[in-house]
Amino acid sequence: MELATKTGFVLLGLFIILNWGLIMAGIIRKIIARASMRRGISVFQPYINLIKNYSIRSQLTHGVMFYLGPVFRLSGGVGIFLFMPLIHDSEIWSNFSFAGDLILIAYFMFFGMLGMALGAGEGGHPYSAIGISRGLAQFTAIEVPLTLAILSIAFQYNTLSISEIVARQQGGILNWTLFTNPLATIAAMISFLGAMGHAPFNVVMAPQENPIGPPTEYHGTFLGVLQTNRAILHVIESVLFMNLFFGGASNWFELIVKTFFIYFWSVFVGMVFPRFRVDQSIPWLLKIPVLIGILSIVFILL
Amino acid sequence: MVNPVFIIVVLLGAGFLLGLFRKTGISLARVAGLLALAFPLYVSVGWMLHFIGQTAQPYVVYTAGTVPPFSINLRMGPDEAFLTAAINMLGFFGFIYLFRLFKSQGVSTIILYLVLFMGLNVIVMTRDIFNLFVFLEIASIALIGLVLVNKGIDALSAGFKYLIAVSVISSILLVGIGFIYYYSGTLNIDGFIENNSLVMKGLSTAVFLVLVAVVLELKAFPANGWALDVYQSAHPGISALISAGTATASLFVLYKLLPFGGHLWLQVAAVIGLVTFVGSNMLGIAQKNANRLLGYSSVGQIGLLVAVIGFSDDLGSHLRMIFFGLFISHFLSKAGLFWLSGMAGEEEISKWSVLRKKPALLLIFGMFVFSLIGFPPFPSFYGKWQLVMDLSGNGQILWIALILLGTMFEGVYLFRWLGFAIKHEVDESKAPDTAAEKMIPAGAFALLLLGASWVSNAYFPGAMKTSFLPLYFILFLFLIDFLPLVIKNTLSILSLGYYGWRLYPSIQDDTLRLVFAGIFLIGGMLTLFAGYSEKGKRPGFYPFALMMYAGLIGLVEADNLFGFFFAWELMTMGSYILIIRGKKSLVHAYNYMLFSLGGALLILFGIALTVAGQPDISLSMLASPAYPGWAYALLAVGFLTKTAALGLHIWLPGAHAEAESDVSPMVSGILLKAGAFGLVILFLAMGGGEAGRHPLLYALGWLGALTALGGNLMAVFQEDAKRLLAYSSVGNLGYILFAFSFMTHIGWLTGLTYSINHFLFKTLLFLAIGGVVMRVKTHNMYEMGGLIKRMPWSFIAVLVGIITLAGIPPLSGFAGKWLFYNAVIAKGWFLQGALVFFAGTIAFLYCFKLIYSVFLGQEKDRFRKVKEAPVWYIIPQFILIVGIMIFSARPEIVLKPIGALLSQAAFFPSEPLAWENVTAYTNLGYWSGFNIMLVIGAMFVVLLGWLLLMSRKAQKVKQFNIVYAGEAPFTPETTHFSHNMFAPYNKALGFLIHPVATQFWLGVNNTFHALAESARKIYSGNGQSYIIHIVAYIVVVYLILS
Repeated sequence: MELATKTGFVLLGLFIILNWGLIMAGIIRKIIARASMRRGISVFQPYINLIKNYSIRSQLTHGVMFYLGPVFRLSGGVGIFLFMPLIHDSEIWSNFSFAGDLILIAYFMFFGMLGMALGAGEGGHPYSAIGISRGLAQFTAIEVPLTLAILSIAFQYNTLSISEIVARQQGGILNWTLFTNPLATIAAMISFLGAMGHAPFNVVMAPQENPIGPPTEYHGTFLGVLQTNRAILHVIESVLFMNLFFGGASNWFELIVKTFFIYFWSVFVGMVFPRFRVDQSIPWLLKIPVLIGILSIVFILL
Repeated sequence: MVNPVFIIVVLLGAGFLLGLFRKTGISLARVAGLLALAFPLYVSVGWMLHFIGQTAQPYVVYTAGTVPPFSINLRMGPDEAFLTAAINMLGFFGFIYLFRLFKSQGVSTIILYLVLFMGLNVIVMTRDIFNLFVFLEIASIALIGLVLVNKGIDALSAGFKYLIAVSVISSILLVGIGFIYYYSGTLNIDGFIENNSLVMKGLSTAVFLVLVAVVLELKAFPANGWALDVYQSAHPGISALISAGTATASLFVLYKLLPFGGHLWLQVAAVIGLVTFVGSNMLGIAQKNANRLLGYSSVGQIGLLVAVIGFSDDLGSHLRMIFFGLFISHFLSKAGLFWLSGMAGEEEISKWSVLRKKPALLLIFGMFVFSLIGFPPFPSFYGKWQLVMDLSGNGQILWIALILLGTMFEGVYLFRWLGFAIKHEVDESKAPDTAAEKMIPAGAFALLLLGASWVSNAYFPGAMKTSFLPLYFILFLFLIDFLPLVIKNTLSILSLGYYGWRLYPSIQDDTLRLVFAGIFLIGGMLTLFAGYSEKGKRPGFYPFALMMYAGLIGLVEADNLFGFFFAWELMTMGSYILIIRGKKSLVHAYNYMLFSLGGALLILFGIALTVAGQPDISLSMLASPAYPGWAYALLAVGFLTKTAALGLHIWLPGAHAEAESDVSPMVSGILLKAGAFGLVILFLAMGGGEAGRHPLLYALGWLGALTALGGNLMAVFQEDAKRLLAYSSVGNLGYILFAFSFMTHIGWLTGLTYSINHFLFKTLLFLAIGGVVMRVKTHNMYEMGGLIKRMPWSFIAVLVGIITLAGIPPLSGFAGKWLFYNAVIAKGWFLQGALVFFAGTIAFLYCFKLIYSVFLGQEKDRFRKVKEAPVWYIIPQFILIVGIMIFSARPEIVLKPIGALLSQAAFFPSEPLAWENVTAYTNLGYWSGFNIMLVIGAMFVVLLGWLLLMSRKAQKVKQFNIVYAGEAPFTPETTHFSHNMFAPYNKALGFLIHPVATQFWLGVNNTFHALAESARKIYSGNGQSYIIHIVAYIVVVYLILS
């Protein structure tokens, strides 16, 4: 396929994902509000926020790295999108996944995190740094069950290619990793809770303690970029879990339904449970979820 | 040739004649005495040259015109010529050293001196045992006279104790001689050794008495308190004579008489010698008095030589070679050290820092210390190597262990001492005594030591020849040390370049060696480049830097085990001196040296168990060791001391963090790869893919994983930027160990990729942080902050460094991570793999802490005017960044050739990494560094452009213009969140880094020191106790023998 066509489809895909991310965020917030007996904001509030932020005229910057932080962050989100195959067996919706496999995506997640951390760091606000230090610390523990799950399924399918993993889950719901390797799925879905930043793992952004965590100093266009990224990231990370554990998607509709429920899992848990402190969440994550991850490997080896 | 009897004639005659000068003038007497001592030197050196290179018969002097047993005969053979030459050399230079003393003491002291040396000459040459006894007595009495030159109660009582002890020993000897005469009818040594076939009842008692007396004369441990007191309280110039002179003569007596005792007594001598070597050195570790310490060391070294004589059956034709190597080092160094002790004028070893005021003295001191412990290129290195190899050939593993243990103890106190001299505080009011008459002997012996090293290289078997070319260049650097830094630095860089150019053709097909040679040489040139920013001449830096690099490159070049070990030790020596140059490095360099020495001894042990006495010492021998299990384990642990595996890592953080700014990258980014290279050589020899299931490798895999976790976790909690990087190196070397332990194609590719990456980013980071530290004058990150505005170039370097370190795409760190995953899954080491992955995420924490605390956050007032790091630091950093970029975008340039090599049958042919244009494939997955770089680069540029467009009117705000929830920030110090940044993490996981290893090694240290401290109380200073020791020793040896 020609590069121009390819780029065109990639941009289209990105546009769909962004919009779905914004709408999903609105729906979720509506659900949360209703669950808390509130009326809630409009479903389109994320659009309104985005437009407002991009049009604010006063812009403040603390320096070059502060400036680059959001760029790194958005590059991280878009990058994961670029390397992710979206729709099974569809060349036009496989993006640039020929450049690398599951490991590339797993590591590229750090790209945005690092950039954000540095950008917020230059803001000079102690709350930003506190938020980052908590976030990074908790993230190390979140990754362990996920790693074990990834090792488990990579061994199970004998491949690290996401397209290949999706292909191997075709032919009926019972072929999904969810059923062929339930322990790995459980371990990974616990990690997913942490990655999505809802309770009990949301102390990073704890509004009661530090305004809004790492992005404290960001506003206007910068905040707009970060919000854009968040919309993309939430969907694309759900797509990752969908591809790995829930049979992937053979069309856009399937993708939208599946990602909604995957993302909703983190919201659902977050509504029920209170928040962990970092020094509580880390030991918690390193106990039962890690054990489940190890069992999933043992299970596959047997 | 001059008849050797004239040695006696001249010395005795001069002694008598000098009596006439008693009134006329001491000056004339001193010159006459010196001339008298020059004569025997001339004679014995003449004989030595005569015997070199030809198998001439020994020359025998028959006194009284008749043959034994009716007369006394003297023999001048090759052994006698060599030993008398040594003794007379000592006599000559020792006399010069005491020149001033003689002036105050008068002619009688000179006479005693001449008589002593006459005695020593005869002791060596005579073949008559009674004559031997007489001259032993003469020498002892002369020596006691000389000991009493020092006034004061200490010398007096020590001399008296010496006298009593020697008398007791002599009477035993005399009784023994009586028995011998009674049973054999002759006093001629050759005569009664010939008659040995007629062993009869009573003769064994005679043998016992004679030999036990000789052994006691050699100050066998622990019946040697009398000797220690003399070493301590005599004038250092006299102690030198005891240690080097009388001991030499007594050793030869033992050699002459041992055949009398047959095989049994050889074994006895070996045991006694080794017990003395280990025991005396162990007791030395608690000793702080310089002269007494030298006494312990002397006793120990002589014990080792006694043991070598005891092993003479096993060593066969190598005996002389080994004895030469060990003896000449001890002889020259010990005399030299006693002389230095007199010049330093300090009894406490911690006060020897006074030598620093005269760098030449410090250099000589260092040479003597290294030569005593057996570092290359000194003769003892050759001797110890050959000794250990031959012993292992005879299966005497326990003896090797004891020799190495004793050497370790010796290293403990000698390196503590050397460290004090190089680094301890100096008392400004004092200065060493550098009178010419003291400098000449010490300098001459140092030169002789170098000469002996050259001789050893020429004289030892062919496989043990190494190229001295780098050593000559190092010597040259010593000689031009007075020149400006620019010249020395440029010459050093050029020499590395030249060496690389010279080396390249011979290793261009061996990609593995090429990679490591590249790291060592290119890394060497880049890090030396930073040295241009130093002010002053930087005395003593370049010879040792080049010594380290010569060692490193020697490892790559070595084609046999000797060459490898030679290079290994050379590198250790150079790096030790480099590390100790740091301001607070005294303790850390000492730790480094002890672990390095321990590691080196284990490597030597491992090699010995590999070769086991066979003449072939090529590297391929590692493939089929004589004792595979032990050899592999010892070698692995030896190499792991250098890579700082968990448990053996405690030296690293201090050593790397406190080193000078441009030394840290040398020792961290480059030097650590020596251990990795050692492991590569070892693992390859273990048999490629076949060895994959070796239990040792499985254990090392786990060790690597735990090291990665431990190192990274400890790095997270550091406040000192350089310590953080140092702990990070521990962790990274853990990855490398882990990856090599896989013993698969992809595993090794991972290991090599990690090695290259670690070299690139750690050198980069240490250079960048080193440059920052030079400007802000602190290592504490929380004291810094906001430096991005002052040091943008350094910031970029650190940013690239941490992205590579963390393995974030698109930079080359990700190549390592991707390969790593593939290797883990293919190998099935899931748990270890998950542990290492966890360690990898922990690395983010310290990466963030490093870059944030130093460059981001709040800028402090006192750093508002600091400048960017010196340009000499920035240039190599950006060369490294270019390297990282090339390796990231086109990894195949490096990885393809390595893969091709690893695919060969001898390595790991199965499951290789396949390349299709720029994309790499394994059985599991794929990755294209080039495409990733392209996609991410394009996207980054587009997004940046978009943001620039959207926020083109952004306004730059002041430092404190932040959203502060209704409060006002107070000062940058209170607003910079950095100190104890990961407190919650510490609360959650801090228990994992409880300093178990440090406590363990402290415990080992304390145990041995306490043991030595209490054991040396047997040397109560009481003469009666000493006599009881001697008698008890005789009884115990007798009981054991019967």
